Amino acid sequence: MMLKRNGLKTIAAALVLAVSLTACSTAGGNGGGDYPKKPFIVTAPSGAGGGWDKTARSLTKVLSETKLIEQTMTVENKPGGGGTVFLGEYVAKDSKDPYKLFVSSPPILINNLKKEGNSPYGYKDVTPLAQITKDFGAIAVAAGSKYNDLQSLIDAIKADPKSVTLAGGSAPGSMDHLISVLPAFKSGIDPKTVKYLSYDGGGEAIAALLGKNADAIGTDISSLGSYLKAGKIKILAVTSSERLGGDFKDVPTMKELGLDAEFNIWRGVFGPKEMTGEQVAFWDKKLKELSENQVWQKELVANDWASEYRNAADFKTFLEQQEKDVQDLLTALGMQK
Amino acid sequence: MNVLDYLADGFMTALQWHNILFAFFGVLIGTSVGVLPGIGPMSGVALLIPVTASMTSGLPPEAAATSSIILLAGVYYGAMYGGSTTSILLNTPGESSSVVTTLDGYQMAKQGRAGAALSIAAIGSFVAGLFALVALIALAQPLSSVAINFGPADYFSLMLLGLCAVSGLAGKSITKALIMTVFGLLLATIGMDTVSGVARFTFGIPLLYSGLEFLTIAVGLFALGEVFKTILEKDYSSGGIAKIGRVLPSRQDLKDSAAPITRGSILGFFIGILPGAGATLASFFSYIVEKKVSKKPETFGKGNIAGVAAPESANNAASGGAMIPLLTLGIPGSGTTAILMGALIMYNIQPGPLLFEEHPQVAWGLIASMLIGNLLLLVLNMPLVKVFAKVIQTPAKYLIPIIIAISVFGVYAVQAQVFDLILLLGCGIAGFLLARNDFPLAPLVLGLVLGPMIENNMRRALTTSNGDFMIFLQKPMSLAFLIIAVLWIAVPILLKRRGKEVVVNEEG
Repeated sequence: MMLKRNGLKTIAAALVLAVSLTACSTAGGNGGGDYPKKPFIVTAPSGAGGGWDKTARSLTKVLSETKLIEQTMTVENKPGGGGTVFLGEYVAKDSKDPYKLFVSSPPILINNLKKEGNSPYGYKDVTPLAQITKDFGAIAVAAGSKYNDLQSLIDAIKADPKSVTLAGGSAPGSMDHLISVLPAFKSGIDPKTVKYLSYDGGGEAIAALLGKNADAIGTDISSLGSYLKAGKIKILAVTSSERLGGDFKDVPTMKELGLDAEFNIWRGVFGPKEMTGEQVAFWDKKLKELSENQVWQKELVANDWASEYRNAADFKTFLEQQEKDVQDLLTALGMQK
Repeated sequence: MNVLDYLADGFMTALQWHNILFAFFGVLIGTSVGVLPGIGPMSGVALLIPVTASMTSGLPPEAAATSSIILLAGVYYGAMYGGSTTSILLNTPGESSSVVTTLDGYQMAKQGRAGAALSIAAIGSFVAGLFALVALIALAQPLSSVAINFGPADYFSLMLLGLCAVSGLAGKSITKALIMTVFGLLLATIGMDTVSGVARFTFGIPLLYSGLEFLTIAVGLFALGEVFKTILEKDYSSGGIAKIGRVLPSRQDLKDSAAPITRGSILGFFIGILPGAGATLASFFSYIVEKKVSKKPETFGKGNIAGVAAPESANNAASGGAMIPLLTLGIPGSGTTAILMGALIMYNIQPGPLLFEEHPQVAWGLIASMLIGNLLLLVLNMPLVKVFAKVIQTPAKYLIPIIIAISVFGVYAVQAQVFDLILLLGCGIAGFLLARNDFPLAPLVLGLVLGPMIENNMRRALTTSNGDFMIFLQKPMSLAFLIIAVLWIAVPILLKRRGKEVVVNEEG
């Protein structure tokens, strides 16, 4: 069931109006030009409590606390269709409003490329401003599993795809599914033959793994840490380009294992399509300062997020590359648009 | 240290004055959150996370985490308590797990027994809360391994059993009940199918990708349906105002409720443990069971106190049961526990297999505070019963706009979409028309809840078995549920054939 805090929308709007009147007179000197001079609204395209919502709230909180942004920043929730509802409205109504930003993650690419539940808009219809966090996909099996490395799992799938059940916390064609089939796909197995069970959320998928109702799961590695520490699971591989530190230092990357597979689960900040160079430069500067700020680093640790900053230009290049990867996978799955 | 030592330590933590205060505020906010439809426990908890974070910022990390989680958990089970209030008084379910309480609760209120209904809901919730807690302490470890082995096939058979039991929700005609069940199942298919990733019945409209919101439909059918009925049938001019009658339940009420509360507590607890099943299902199941075992099943839906006592106990016990997978495995069984888990992670405390070893203060402090919180709830709610029961004396011309306002506000607070308001109105009209023609509404709502679970688990099970239906018979738990389901249907029919009087339930 979706959840929400937008009952306060009207109040927030009234506040925004009130603050904007005062802000006009005070914010003139900020950033050189006349941007920004109004309060910002940062939208989380989901209900309260999810990953996007937490990112939006942490971001605005730290930007205000550290006085990097002096204008008021309000978080709005706009759930529906995994972000699709929001993006449709945003592109249609707000593409000229540089005071409305939003946070997103790989689904903005995936939803645009896949056939079912398609979003007609993608990252090209908005302006990527920065990547602010990263996470990676991982393939895990239960501690007692007969698979001790990724190769043996892939061999088993190769020998008889029907004998191995993979699971994840989201629907086919979405992130967990793509991560689950990624190693098989890169090993030359037709990903359509890989058996994938989708559960309602990562927690249920892990339950299925521990309860032996699935042989392996594909999900984000940050949610697996405590199970690894408790000795309940083995993580066979991670989709990062280099080994991660801490609890995951013994987990090999797919690259090390000879697979040309990478998948970065990023979270980023976006603005409307029609932003001026000056406005993009403003956010480049502010978000870079944020990424180096102590308070932000603490906030990341508190939320179990890993820091990674890419500026607007790098982020765009990166998205182009990831879009290709996702397109390849979806095409192989027969789920592309 | 053994369990009792840990528990004693937990009480030391929970009885610190600031933690008692936190528990009190938690249950107070929770009660109000439960009373208002829309702001369910899930959004209530989510909204309070930042607030508690700043409130506890002065404390050392572990103590801050304990205090926050005490407050947030208080909101969670406080909401389970409060959810019954509007169901009973206004026919407006405060949250989804109280939908079934409207069936008998509202009838009781109409008969002037609102006080008894509210009190028995509070007492039942208290008993169930205590039971769940004792069971949590004693059985957490063994049960967590049972819950985790509960696979898709087992879920499917359990849900199927639930569907067979739908006759228990039927009004005058079993055929109409079945029609409504199927209608509910059909509505549940709208949206993105999570097993295949295909969009069904969405007609390319992104608004429909996430399906129809359960609460919007329930509030529309029950609350607005009743409002339309009152207006169109001019109910408010006839009969005058319902009397409150006595506030406390009579000795007979207590006697009638004792067994339902016990059964509701046990059933609710065990359903609550299963990830994904949750309090809504627990309340439905316990209601159906009560009707099945009752000597006078025909009085259900007409103000039988067991129809309030059992589901209200069950949903509270379920929220206790849901703590088991959360604390021992780090697996949230419901949306609300997922958010509680998020709150713990924010304090760098990872619920899961290591929680009791790494952070005993947090885990046992929470358990002890739940005991205190339940006591606070009872103390808080019993005097409020009198106040709330007065609502029923409000003349209809004031009450109707209030119900409409609460419904609209509540639904908009959850969904923030005009679409849901239109759906709400549509469901209100449908609810009125259906109820007037004796189509029972509860089976529709049950179908809506069970539909996705039945379907997804069946397909997951079949994917695992490569399409072999035998998987449902090979898994022992699944087989047991299927046998019960078959007996449930077959026994009354057989008895009837033999010409015996059917004492269990009048089918048809």
